Amino acid sequence: MTEPIKITPILEVRELRKSYDDGRIEALRGVDLTITAGDFVSISGPSGSGKSTLLQLLGGLDTPTSGEVLFRNGKLTDLDTYRSKSVGFIFQAFHLMPTLRVLENVQVPMLALNPCPRNRAERAEALLTEMGMNHRLRQYPNELSAGERQRVAIARALANEPEILLADEPTGNLDSVNSARIMEILIGIQKARGMTLIVVTHENDIAHSAARQIRIRDGRIEP
Amino acid sequence: MASQLSFAWFAWKNLWRRRLRTLLTLGGIGMAIGAFVGLVGFSRSFEHEWLRMYLSSGTDIAVVQQTFLNTSMEESAGATLKALPAVRQATPMILNLMDLTPEVNALAYGWKADSYEFDSLTLKLGRRFKDGQPEVMLGDLLAGSLKKNAGDTLEIQGSAFTVAGIYHGGSALEAGAVIMPLDQMQKLGSLEGKVTAFHVRLKPAPIGESPEHYLARAQAEIEAALPGLRAVPAAERASNNQIVLLAHAAAWGTSGIALLIGILGIANTMAMSVFERTREIGILRALGWKRWRVLVLIEMEAAVLGLAGGVLGIAVGWLSLRVLAAIPQTASIVSASFPVLLLTEALGIAVLAGVAAGAIPAWRGAHLSPVEALRHD
Repeated sequence: MTEPIKITPILEVRELRKSYDDGRIEALRGVDLTITAGDFVSISGPSGSGKSTLLQLLGGLDTPTSGEVLFRNGKLTDLDTYRSKSVGFIFQAFHLMPTLRVLENVQVPMLALNPCPRNRAERAEALLTEMGMNHRLRQYPNELSAGERQRVAIARALANEPEILLADEPTGNLDSVNSARIMEILIGIQKARGMTLIVVTHENDIAHSAARQIRIRDGRIEP
Repeated sequence: MASQLSFAWFAWKNLWRRRLRTLLTLGGIGMAIGAFVGLVGFSRSFEHEWLRMYLSSGTDIAVVQQTFLNTSMEESAGATLKALPAVRQATPMILNLMDLTPEVNALAYGWKADSYEFDSLTLKLGRRFKDGQPEVMLGDLLAGSLKKNAGDTLEIQGSAFTVAGIYHGGSALEAGAVIMPLDQMQKLGSLEGKVTAFHVRLKPAPIGESPEHYLARAQAEIEAALPGLRAVPAAERASNNQIVLLAHAAAWGTSGIALLIGILGIANTMAMSVFERTREIGILRALGWKRWRVLVLIEMEAAVLGLAGGVLGIAVGWLSLRVLAAIPQTASIVSASFPVLLLTEALGIAVLAGVAAGAIPAWRGAHLSPVEALRHD
């Protein structure tokens, strides 16, 4: 008899709640969710449904009002270390450092590590080459197109070789051609590296391209 | 080779983003450090020259009253002093500051013509003055300022004095001074029979007695023989006399105020910088930068401001000391030397000022919530 395939959860959330303004606004109202390592998950829902709040809690950017987030079966205690080593963020607004060149921007997460890798520039250059940005290494973010900026942001998210990629509306500021290109890159990375990819989006096409689709409404996951 | 990002480079780029503001802040801290270097350097140089004067003449002990500014002791005490077993030579002197012309003032000494203190001077022109004669000797620095030569006449407080000789002194306090017979100085100041101090050379220490012990014993011997007077070792006299202490206090007080203004300038720059970069700090936190790393980055920027301001300030201070050593009004009490200790202190104070000024903005930046900071416009 063959052994059943063991599925490893990389992230689990239990009875997750998040409220603001002294409890007057409830963004999440008891979310339970398990995400398996290597999954491509989309989280979609209308504005104000709580999808970005859920992503922030999964990424350790914020702490829940109640409930817990487990990473590889352990509670998240050191959020800074979790964010620097295990998670890579991609934002809708790119959030690149305006004073730093493209090559320098990708090295910023490496400075969060202790000790900082010695070959920071070489690693950053390799990632940018992978993103097709090796001809723009010395440019500043304001000299790039929106699609190019997002490719730099993806390279930055991969800088510390995280296990999970979290993308919050990664195509929200892009035209359709660049949106398709960015999603192609993200899915390619997820498959090639076996990473867990969680994308928050309000675009149906992108949501449907995920292997697992989660819809959220009024702070609860829809059945 | 690809360019490697480091903390220091990141800090520098953040500062260079607002060039004008950074340069204005640098100007502020530079002026503050310049004031520190100029004023404290001036007062230290004054003390240093004082010590050089004692050392070059071989004075071991100065016998003075409790205070210096109001000192006036009997010249006749010299006989008691000379009779003490440890004393080899004791010479009376008067010290004063005189306006020789509207532009030039100088230290004026009243010495006996046979004072041992002449030993450290090199006669360049003319001869030594004679007691009882209206004659003076000029330090070469002062003679240059006054454009006087041996044989010329110099008017001091309405009396004509012949310049008997021009000498070169071991310290700026001598090179820029005028020396006249003690009796002439007493007459000018209505101080007949009074002196400012006695300078004492001791006999060699007996074999087997340490120099420190011998000096202390001689002090005690002198003070016992001349009640009410103090016997002060030369080094202590150079650093602890009221004029030097006053100069130090004025220098530290004034430069302290300037430094406070410089610190407020850096604090203002750093507070504005942190506010403007709230979102960027949020990005750093989102990328896993720990609070202390954000704090170190902001403090590094403040320290770089302090350090660069310090370098600028040292240049300003050095220039001001050179000017003070060159102009006649102050050339007699300051040398153009620039001690390494002062340079190190100035840089240390500048960096500490930067770090202190950056502390609150850095703490505020480090404690921003990543989510709140990312939402900041």
